[in-house]
Amino acid sequence: MTKTLIATTALVGALVGPMSGMALAETIGVSIPAATHGWAGALNFHAERTIERLKEVYPEHEFVLATTPDSATQVSDLEDMVATRGIDALVVLPFESEPLTGPIQRIADSGTWVTVVDRGLAVEGIETLYVAGDNDSFGRTAGQYFADTLDEGAKVVAMRGIPSTVDNERVEGFEAALDGSGIEVLAMDHGNWNRDTAFTLMQDWLSRFPEIDAVWAADDDMAVGALAAIEQAGRTGEMIVVGGAGMKEMVDRIRSGDSTVPVDVTYPPSMISTAIEMTVVGVTGAAPMSGEFIIASELITPENADDFYFEDSPY
Amino acid sequence: MTMATTQKSTGRPGRRIDLQVIGPILALIALLLIGMALNSNFLSYANITNVLARSAFIGIIAVGMTFVITAGGLDLSVGSMAAFVAGLMILVMNLLTESMGVTLPVILIGIAVALLAGLVAGVINGILITRVGIEAFIVTLGTMGIYRSLITWLADGGTLSLGFEMRELYRPVYYGGIAGVSWPIIAFVVVAVLGEIVMRHTAFGRHCAAIGSNEKVARYSSISVLKVRLATYVLLGLLVGFAVVMYVPRLGSASASTGLLWELEAIAAVIIGGTLLKGGFGRVWGTVVGVLILSLIGNILNLTDFVSPYLNGAIQGAVIILAVVLQRKGATER
Amino acid sequence: MADPILSLNGVSKSFGPIEVLHGVDFELRPGEIHALIGENGAGKSTTMKILGGYIDASDGDIRWQGAPVTFGSSDEAEARGIVMIHQEFNLAEHLGVDQNVFLGREIKRGWRLDHKAMRARTAELLAQLECPVDPSARVSGLSVPAKQMVEIAKALSRDLRVLIMDEPTAVLTERDCEILFRQIDRLRAQGVAILYTSHKLSEVKRICDRVTVLRDGAMVRSAPVSEITEDEMAAAMVGRELSDLYPAKAVPQDEVMLEVEGLSVPGLIETASLTLRRGEVLGIGGLVGAGRTELAEAIAGLRPRGGRVRLMGETLPAGQVKTAMERGLVYLTEDRKSAGLLLDKGLRENLTLPLLDRFGTVLIDRKAEEAALDKAIADFAIRAPERDMPVGNLSGGNQQKLLLAKTLLSDPQVILIDEPTRGIDIGTKQQIYTLISGLAAAGHAIIVISSEMPELIGLASRVLVMHAGRIVGGLEGDDVNEGAIVRLAMGLEETSEEAAA
Repeated sequence: MTKTLIATTALVGALVGPMSGMALAETIGVSIPAATHGWAGALNFHAERTIERLKEVYPEHEFVLATTPDSATQVSDLEDMVATRGIDALVVLPFESEPLTGPIQRIADSGTWVTVVDRGLAVEGIETLYVAGDNDSFGRTAGQYFADTLDEGAKVVAMRGIPSTVDNERVEGFEAALDGSGIEVLAMDHGNWNRDTAFTLMQDWLSRFPEIDAVWAADDDMAVGALAAIEQAGRTGEMIVVGGAGMKEMVDRIRSGDSTVPVDVTYPPSMISTAIEMTVVGVTGAAPMSGEFIIASELITPENADDFYFEDSPY
Repeated sequence: MTMATTQKSTGRPGRRIDLQVIGPILALIALLLIGMALNSNFLSYANITNVLARSAFIGIIAVGMTFVITAGGLDLSVGSMAAFVAGLMILVMNLLTESMGVTLPVILIGIAVALLAGLVAGVINGILITRVGIEAFIVTLGTMGIYRSLITWLADGGTLSLGFEMRELYRPVYYGGIAGVSWPIIAFVVVAVLGEIVMRHTAFGRHCAAIGSNEKVARYSSISVLKVRLATYVLLGLLVGFAVVMYVPRLGSASASTGLLWELEAIAAVIIGGTLLKGGFGRVWGTVVGVLILSLIGNILNLTDFVSPYLNGAIQGAVIILAVVLQRKGATER
Repeated sequence: MADPILSLNGVSKSFGPIEVLHGVDFELRPGEIHALIGENGAGKSTTMKILGGYIDASDGDIRWQGAPVTFGSSDEAEARGIVMIHQEFNLAEHLGVDQNVFLGREIKRGWRLDHKAMRARTAELLAQLECPVDPSARVSGLSVPAKQMVEIAKALSRDLRVLIMDEPTAVLTERDCEILFRQIDRLRAQGVAILYTSHKLSEVKRICDRVTVLRDGAMVRSAPVSEITEDEMAAAMVGRELSDLYPAKAVPQDEVMLEVEGLSVPGLIETASLTLRRGEVLGIGGLVGAGRTELAEAIAGLRPRGGRVRLMGETLPAGQVKTAMERGLVYLTEDRKSAGLLLDKGLRENLTLPLLDRFGTVLIDRKAEEAALDKAIADFAIRAPERDMPVGNLSGGNQQKLLLAKTLLSDPQVILIDEPTRGIDIGTKQQIYTLISGLAAAGHAIIVISSEMPELIGLASRVLVMHAGRIVGGLEGDDVNEGAIVRLAMGLEETSEEAAA
């Protein structure tokens, strides 16, 4: 993934020179969820940074960034962008697929360039460009790691996120990878991508199950909560914890060879940068940019952890 | 004698009081029995400690909320306020660690900052409600959004974490204790006992109930209604600060999702405990029972595969309503 | 004589272990106004509520046109045409007059409300009642008498067979009373059976056909009004002969206790001045809305005001109730239910509310509170079945005594009493009059605000009269009489400024 990102950035850089003088002024709208949890926070961080950077490169273009706490607000944000800012291109991470499919379709029908990020729309073929992480691969990578490293008959617990399509895809991938491995999933419940909820849930699981060999937390925030509960119960040596998304603290633990946290799974929030950059290139007509762009999840191991550690990222 | 009730009087006022007292306790006992039946580890020392300690944050806040609601007010901002205060405390402690090192004074200053920030936040809510005269619901809905945004901004949308070494030093405040009873539990008990005494045996508690019951009567009885009201919000703010002092050492971090929905849990606990949402009557021990009921529901659901996790919210909602129905049954028959 | 339409036969009622009605017989006949009188706590309210279907009888039976009947609720009683007008109005304050009159029985056209028809019908009813209220006005903005008229209009809008009126004139001015009496006469002529309660025996004598007297939950006398005098009614209520209702007046001393100079409340009171001496009972008369209550509240610190108030020589700051109380000036509200007492709390909590800091330092000394309540119950002869019952369940007279006990708890020197006997029975009235003159004789200074002329004349040695926010005159000694007060109150004349000062 990192390679692709670097490649596109280079591409943008290469195109700047000849483009900047003659390009028409375009307005690009970016609509993403508000920073209500760590991953979304990082998404905002990357979106803002990318827009800053692109503004310097393309002073003639305008960028409109709107963050939204829920689907309804996002719909009105989009309407405002079209009505008052007259956007020529839209980069959108839909809060939910179903309610936003209609509004985004109308925008696409009016001839506006639409880049959909991460969460697919309910109807196919609306967007010009689709940039997404691979949720199935996110769960599958973790599950595959368990299947590869744990013994047959090993016992694991799984912490899901907030009930949603994203969560379902991840869990399906996870379960598919474990299928036939002989590993037993003791319990699976929603930790809501929240540290406190995960802490409480893990405490109760530790009371309930005398033997747990591994914990899968479908997000690093939850992994942090689970680790604190395990430490409190004094059962640190007994199990491993695999999270996901590549949070700074977790990557640091892997880097330093923590035996409880041997690996992590990526789901890079920087995909928004990729999406915005590709959109700018696409809308100015510099290069054909339509289609799908799927960023598969990778396994972070002590060997490659350095590549995934971003000192100044908030996440 | 409200003439608006056209229902018949059963003429037995004593029954109502009994049910009000027993209702929440019955619900608590029922939950304990269910927990025991479903999982043998339910009554283990570790589980009981876990449940009590995790109840402490919302419990401490709910005690303060009992006073606010009894005096006819409401505070929706406590969850966000807790998150903001926690974030502020972590920032200050991280900053001080650079100059003062990993030392006890840093923790003490951090605690002072948390208490002070809670107090100031309470004063702001209270002033806007009593002096500027805006509805409590609107004021605290506003500050709820403000604090939630502030913590998100402070944390850059991510998570604020206490430095690793500092976390280790501060950790015992949540995980440690005396004679096997952890500090959050002790803190919760102390706050609850003091709260009960203040509510039932001091002029302040009596004044809160009087104001909630009939503000005009209170004013005509030479009670400084505005001052007492203000004091309830300040007390609540201070207790939010105190809860944060217990919360931060648990995970050593604060983020935009810290304290999410705590305000609703605290309000629910207060009402389950028998305090009237419209004010005029409050009891702190009831609130404690309410908090325990809420915690136990979550705990029991986690300890069993009884229902699909998708239905957890439904079970919680049903128990909340049931607990209130139990105690209000007598009242509606009046 | 027509057969009874609604009657009680040997009806008893118990609340818990306490029996409050003992085998009462009572009959209402079409075309007859039957007065039910008695002291507060005698069982009038309970009797009325049983008739109106609000509560069950514990024993005995209720008959409707001769056949036993049980009402499941007040709605069932209303379905038969039995309507009760409560003393505390049963109106939705935020709705319009017409919406209130047709509340729950809205006229509809198809599925939509027929506002026009309801408004027209309401206007008709109000015109009948000579009430100049706009049918679309909000009830919360109406005066107390106007609200009463709306209640009556509401009753009239139904198919009315039995009308139960709980002290309808307690809140009405004389003029409104006359209108009410005409309406009652009209209903009687239409064959409605009317139950009427009042503490004003002269009214009973004047408009009723028959009177039944209750005392301590039992029926003590029932007779045609023509065969019983007012004195006999009072004696039957109290159970003894009433000596003179008003005790001897105390003689004012020279020491000035309260001086009010140029007091004003924007929009309500212009430059009012008065002087009150030790041992004096000063009456303040005037029509409802003349600014009497506002004047007293402004003096007591319950309202922002301009002007100067000096209490025992020292200036009293404006708007500070607590300071006023601590310096020895208190105000007893006319509105005991919404400003005087916490109706859902017990006697103890109510008694000590203004003075909690004198009961213990940090923690409230409950024993001291109980002792204070014991003393109050004894001193003021408060009758309460249980000490921790909500005071809202006490009778009006006992509530008023408790309010007096609460107000006097701080042992004030200057006492402003607003409508001391509104809605209470004659026996309690006499107790309160004795108490007021006793306080004056003991050296307190007292202002009594009252709408009842005899009360002003009987109690006060001097009377100030207010009209439209101003003190328009003062009357002293033999000049204090109804005619003079009414002329001043109506704004027909003003006496010299000296008299007012």
